[in-house]
Amino acid sequence: MSVSAETIPSAPAEPWRRRLLRSLLYGHNSNRAAKARARVGLAIIAFAVVYCIIAVRLVMFAAVSDGRVAHRVVSGDAIATARPDILDRNGEVLATDVRVPSLYAEPRRLIDVDEAVELLTADLPDLDATELRERLSSRRGFVWLKRDITSEQQREIYHQGLPGIGFLNENKRDYPNGAEVSHLLGRVDIDNQGTAGVEKWLDNQGLAALHLAGLATDRLQTPVQLAVDLRVQHALRDELVKARDKFHAIASAGLVLNVRTGEIVAMVSEPDYDPNIPHNPRDQSLINRLTTGVYEMGSTFKAFTVAMALDSGKVTLKSSFDAHNPLHYGKFDIHDFEPMQRSLSVPEIFTYSSNIGAARIAMAMGVDAHKAFLKKMGQLDRLRTELPESAEPIVPKRWSELNTITIAFGHGLSVAPLQAVMGVGALMNGGILIPPTFLKRTEAEAQALGKRVIKPETSAMMRYLMRLNVEKGTASKADVVGYYIGGKTGTADKVVFGRYSKTRVLTDFMAVLPADQPRYVLLIMLDEPKALPETHGFTTSGWNAVPTGGAVVARIAPLLGIEPRLDLPPADQQILASLKENR
Amino acid sequence: MIFRVINIVVIGALVLAAAYVYRIKFDSTVQAEHLAKLRGEVRRERDRIAALRAEWGELDNPARIEILAKRFLQIKPIAPTQFDSLDRLPERPPDDARAANDDPIGGMIGNLDPPETGTIPAPAATPPDQPSGAPSQPSGAPSR
Repeated sequence: MSVSAETIPSAPAEPWRRRLLRSLLYGHNSNRAAKARARVGLAIIAFAVVYCIIAVRLVMFAAVSDGRVAHRVVSGDAIATARPDILDRNGEVLATDVRVPSLYAEPRRLIDVDEAVELLTADLPDLDATELRERLSSRRGFVWLKRDITSEQQREIYHQGLPGIGFLNENKRDYPNGAEVSHLLGRVDIDNQGTAGVEKWLDNQGLAALHLAGLATDRLQTPVQLAVDLRVQHALRDELVKARDKFHAIASAGLVLNVRTGEIVAMVSEPDYDPNIPHNPRDQSLINRLTTGVYEMGSTFKAFTVAMALDSGKVTLKSSFDAHNPLHYGKFDIHDFEPMQRSLSVPEIFTYSSNIGAARIAMAMGVDAHKAFLKKMGQLDRLRTELPESAEPIVPKRWSELNTITIAFGHGLSVAPLQAVMGVGALMNGGILIPPTFLKRTEAEAQALGKRVIKPETSAMMRYLMRLNVEKGTASKADVVGYYIGGKTGTADKVVFGRYSKTRVLTDFMAVLPADQPRYVLLIMLDEPKALPETHGFTTSGWNAVPTGGAVVARIAPLLGIEPRLDLPPADQQILASLKENR
Repeated sequence: MIFRVINIVVIGALVLAAAYVYRIKFDSTVQAEHLAKLRGEVRRERDRIAALRAEWGELDNPARIEILAKRFLQIKPIAPTQFDSLDRLPERPPDDARAANDDPIGGMIGNLDPPETGTIPAPAATPPDQPSGAPSQPSGAPSR
């Protein structure tokens, strides 16, 4: 460039040395003026491009910097793990996020480790000094010192002015109701990631991805509303805790299901835990017995047996089956708890809870029909709900006639109790099997999801039998005046070391309320209740689970908006009469 | 000459535009800071609301209310027999009975003679068309 600039005023009076240099560089006959113009043009274009780039960058900076300003404030809480609030069906808070400061250190920026250890342990006495020193001496960029400190502690540490020590506001999950809704909600770990229950379900719904992308900083996510009713949940839990203490049972569990929508209004599995307090998640005594455990449900399964027979049309309420003698099958004898020594009608089989009768009904229907019916009722497949915990039912691999006989009265097939409740709900609600849910659902949505499994008339007959069982059967202690409860008891011998124990039992009670216009199904389950003086030495369901169920109904029915009706006629008039009219 | 004028005009326009853009930019920065401050305040308020809601949830917990109610209140849980429906309420007294302010009961008794008062339905007439769940003696229900 400099060469061309100097040579523009070219003249013949050029020193010969320069002329030589020029002819060497450019040749003899080059038009230097044209070349110079082209070069200037090139330079102009180059500069124009550079200025354009600068201008564009300026515009970009001006446009983007607004966003930067907004983000600067947020940087105090870097951990993006906000979770949506969880509400019960009436809008009560079940789980929410609260901001708590957490203390961290950047050891590389720390000047005097000893001083820092001394000052920090003075303010946080529960901090282990040796561990703290170890952490601060490491050459890492970032270490947590203590999560969840109080604002007073934060203020004092802040005023010490230690370099390399800082605070981050973290979201901490808070469960205001403590243990009341524990199994349903599940829990979160220290990083606010769901590890069980509905919390884990939320993570699987895309929240975990949001956390990973660091987007879930704000509290703007819409709250999740569950079907559970906190008041009903409390009443159920309170009664179950009382029952567990009274009968010295190792566990008690209860469930309230809306039979029209499949909503789970309350679910309690005692013993439970306070999700606010971290604990060992592998503790087997704390499992959710309703979804994670599988049990032989005992005589409540007779409801399925009888419903199958009535629905087939081959058996009516007037049919009778021989129950004179224990039923021999191979080397097995099937006995009744209270042998009647005569032929029993179908209602009698149900209300006396006759094993022999139920077995004979199932045998009359055949193995394949029995299996197909239970399959249709959803008792043979794993039931999946929103909760990540679910258990596969234990179904016999080879289903022989003996299996059908025992399953007819509830032994030999282990199902998750929630599954059994779903099936009984279908028997009660007019014959539509609705998958249960923990989220709010309308009746129309439930009808769209449900599928018809039995005829409405069969359902009415089953409700009649359930009511009859409370009026004069094994569940008479649950007859709370005014709510027209129907119910079936179940007492299953537990398998201990591979054989059925005579002393250890699992008792359950499946109730429908009200029996003539079913709205809710209630399950009460007690694991190994002990005999008491007032139960006259009995451990059967009628003496422990049934009174508990009655007490629960008396408390929850007003909460569920069920109006007490007094002076209702007995079941054969109230339920069966309408059935005959319809025909 | 004309070029020089244009140059001067353009330079003047450039300076004005720069000043104007600077002002807009400055204003927008101020607004953005303000916005960020408000956002921070909103966040803090939301956090405070959440903390208060959590606290309220703890105070409003049915278990706690139950303990407090048992300790301080005479009230007991309502029994099924204490419920009654509105349609089983006795009918409202006729207007002329209520009009007699000084002695409403006396006025009512005075008006009993005409048979169309109908404060209490005749029990004999009702059972056939009553629903099965309804009582036989409506007036006796509230006292139970």
